[in-house]
Amino acid sequence: MSWDSFYLFAIPALICWGAGAIFAWKGRRSILICGITLAGLAVFFSFIASMWFSLERPPLRTMGETRLWYSFFLPLAGLITYIRWKYKWILSFSTILSAVFICINLFKPEIHSKTLMPALQSPWFAPHVIVYMFAYAMLGAAALMSLYLLFRKKAPQSGELALCDNLVYSGLAFMTIGMLFGAVWAKEAWGHYWAWDPKETWALATWLGYLTYIHFRLDRPSDYRKSLLVLLLSFVLLQMCWYGINYLPSAQGTSVHTYNL
Amino acid sequence: MWEKPWKYKEGILAGAGLLATGMLLQASVGGIDWGRMAFPVNVIVLCLFLLALTVMNALRRKVYLFAWLSQRSTAVSSLCYVLGVTVLMGLVRQGPSAHPPGGSGMVAALSDMLSFWPFVLVYVWMTVVLGMTILRAGLPFRWRRLPSLLNHIGLFIVIVAGTAGAADMRRLRMTVPLGETEWRAQDEKTGQMVELPLAIELKDFTIDEYPPKLMLIDNSSGRLLPEKTPVHLLLEEGVSGGRLMDWDISVTQSLPEAACIVSADSLNFTGFHSVGSTYAVRIKAANRVSGEQKDGWVSCGSFLFPYKALMLDERTSVVMPDREPRRFASEVIAYTDGGVRKQGTIEVNKPLDVDGWKIYQLSYDETRGRWSEISVFELVKDSWLLYVYIGMIMMIGGAVGLFVAARPRTAEEERK
Repeated sequence: MSWDSFYLFAIPALICWGAGAIFAWKGRRSILICGITLAGLAVFFSFIASMWFSLERPPLRTMGETRLWYSFFLPLAGLITYIRWKYKWILSFSTILSAVFICINLFKPEIHSKTLMPALQSPWFAPHVIVYMFAYAMLGAAALMSLYLLFRKKAPQSGELALCDNLVYSGLAFMTIGMLFGAVWAKEAWGHYWAWDPKETWALATWLGYLTYIHFRLDRPSDYRKSLLVLLLSFVLLQMCWYGINYLPSAQGTSVHTYNL
Repeated sequence: MWEKPWKYKEGILAGAGLLATGMLLQASVGGIDWGRMAFPVNVIVLCLFLLALTVMNALRRKVYLFAWLSQRSTAVSSLCYVLGVTVLMGLVRQGPSAHPPGGSGMVAALSDMLSFWPFVLVYVWMTVVLGMTILRAGLPFRWRRLPSLLNHIGLFIVIVAGTAGAADMRRLRMTVPLGETEWRAQDEKTGQMVELPLAIELKDFTIDEYPPKLMLIDNSSGRLLPEKTPVHLLLEEGVSGGRLMDWDISVTQSLPEAACIVSADSLNFTGFHSVGSTYAVRIKAANRVSGEQKDGWVSCGSFLFPYKALMLDERTSVVMPDREPRRFASEVIAYTDGGVRKQGTIEVNKPLDVDGWKIYQLSYDETRGRWSEISVFELVKDSWLLYVYIGMIMMIGGAVGLFVAARPRTAEEERK
């Protein structure tokens, strides 16, 4: 299995997710919506699984590979949100977002290498990155929601703000777990759980950003515009942590977190 | 301003005051020397800090400042400042190599953020707010608050134990030649060689390598082709050919352990099963467009033999980059002063625990690659690790609670 056959899985998966989104919009039965979205997830995951198998390592090392997981987790996060809070538009939203990342991988495929340096050969590798990608998916949805509320909507309803909060709480929970898994792994691999590596510093900044959002929301629920701006800023910090440091002069050659070669 | 209740204006001013105080301290006494926090100073400071928090909490109703320290708005203000200095740290290259010696004081201070007073003071402020919040919200204990308390207490323990323990942490680098026993190591902080209560005997050192790759380079620049997304052909088992850009490559002979034989007009490879052998393949290359054909040896070389590229045309050559290590491991026996003897294998991601020390596989003689006759270890002792892990486990519990319970209901929603 290689990237060449990605479209064979990505397009059917997108069709399933799109159908699920339309059914949700039309208020069809949830069993149908969940079933078809899950079918799409199964198709997409079978590609990830076969990549895993053919590369003989978890496909989590390069940016393209993390995008693959991101496009898988967005509809999954959407589905969980749908089941839990019954927002009928959330599936359209997660499908479109996922489609963007699928398109990047379709039109800008990466060269794949089977090699995995010893530092990444650890049982912590998959949980650390997968949990992080899931958090990013949740927080990406929260960021889009905040854009919508800030610039399209005059007066958000309390339910819409509550959705932002819920997405951030869930995303932050996963991010915390991902960060702590990373810390335990770093202790096993590099000798210390926290070394202020640029990736770690930016991960901390991102985490602090979302903490600020949560505390400010609790303190000033009516001042939601400022909260939403903090949410957007936090998402910018997240981009810096995810891939921005690859371009940041202060992080060049100093981060041990660079595997994207 | 400064009318009770204090909110964000006061919070912003308080933070600015801390930054200014920090700058003054930085200018007058210089950066913080964390080495002074080594045991027993860290334990004393920690006890005083916890005592101060308890006293401040007890006087919360009498002294407004102490009540303010456990307010949510104060938490937000301190978080903003902590976020600000953390972003600054991310933007400025850290480490002693980041600034020229004798350079301007400010650049030097900012590139050593962990010793920079303003940075540390705002983190202390946040930690005080965190501690005060735990005492206010945690007493008396209510089950409903458990996830939030786990998050806050866990983070508090991680910050406090991590900071207090930093000076006690020992990290040393030890190079052990094959077959020998070493007990001296270089301290990574001071650079001095020290004798340890721990010795390591290196019984064996092995490297497994990935199969070699063939890649194309530009003859004039030496860069891999195509630029940015270079192609490669991994010569794993069962692969006898493939395509690199316009070139069809087929391997006609493969020597995983080879020696290079140089004669007056040719360069040849032959089987060689001894120290210093290299990997060599004989390939045929045919260009799909021009039909041009080439035949010759390609090798990555070793410390004993030179590498060999095959020139395809004026612009491109086929090369075999150094093989990437898949796994490197040391068979060791560790001995301690106390008479402990422990045998084990140390590899990346699999350190060996001996008597409170963790021994990590760090490196080897990279110029000799798989023929390295030394192994480099890092030895780490962190006696505060247990407490940090307790804090982390609490945080994981708190995060799970955060996900399950999601957002706590606001007062308004509770009324409904």
